[in-house]
Amino acid sequence: MRRYETIFILRPTLGEEQISTLIENTTNIIQAEKGQIIEADRWGIKKLAYPIKKETLGFYVFCDYAGTPEAVTEIERKFRIDDSVLRYLTVKTADSITAEQADTATAELAVRRAAKQASETETDDDLEDDIIEDADIIEE
Amino acid sequence: MAQRPQKKLFSRKKVCRFCADKEQSIDYKDVKTLRGFVSERGKIIPRRIVGTCATHQRQLCEAIKRARHIALLPYSGSVLG
Repeated sequence: MRRYETIFILRPTLGEEQISTLIENTTNIIQAEKGQIIEADRWGIKKLAYPIKKETLGFYVFCDYAGTPEAVTEIERKFRIDDSVLRYLTVKTADSITAEQADTATAELAVRRAAKQASETETDDDLEDDIIEDADIIEE
Repeated sequence: MAQRPQKKLFSRKKVCRFCADKEQSIDYKDVKTLRGFVSERGKIIPRRIVGTCATHQRQLCEAIKRARHIALLPYSGSVLG
């Protein structure tokens, strides 16, 4: 098992439902190959540094997972076919990761997120306005 | 014949920012730090100017290129333009 992270940009015109199904499809591919999702985070709509396929905004989705190279090729194949995916990038972050390591990484992340959320609630009033949609936890 | 311009005698020694601060890591998702290593036009600033060491400049270069691919940084021009 290797650890990868994938970022993909979706068209901003997509509905909430379509985004959810797309994320679900990719996570299903990973799990079908006996992989593990460590993090699946929606960054939300951001301004692109340059237009891609005539779009100036994009919906960013970040996914950190332990999986096989086959899962990655399958995900990227699906992305290439899907017209709603503007861009994707997969980076290998670790050559080998065991199931336990993935579990601990997930747990660590949950702790960090809880701490971050606690500090954010204090300064909730002055949130940046360029984040249109708040990143929410999809699954833990 | 014009005399060769005198070489600056006292130039401040540049220190690699990532060597000085071991905590700081180079990540392509961290646009804020990467911004400091590209020019206004979006070009990667050479090592002789920013003073990073070879290892970190290499990593930085890779990170900037990745950030460009997923449209976090522009290939050319400022983000606004």
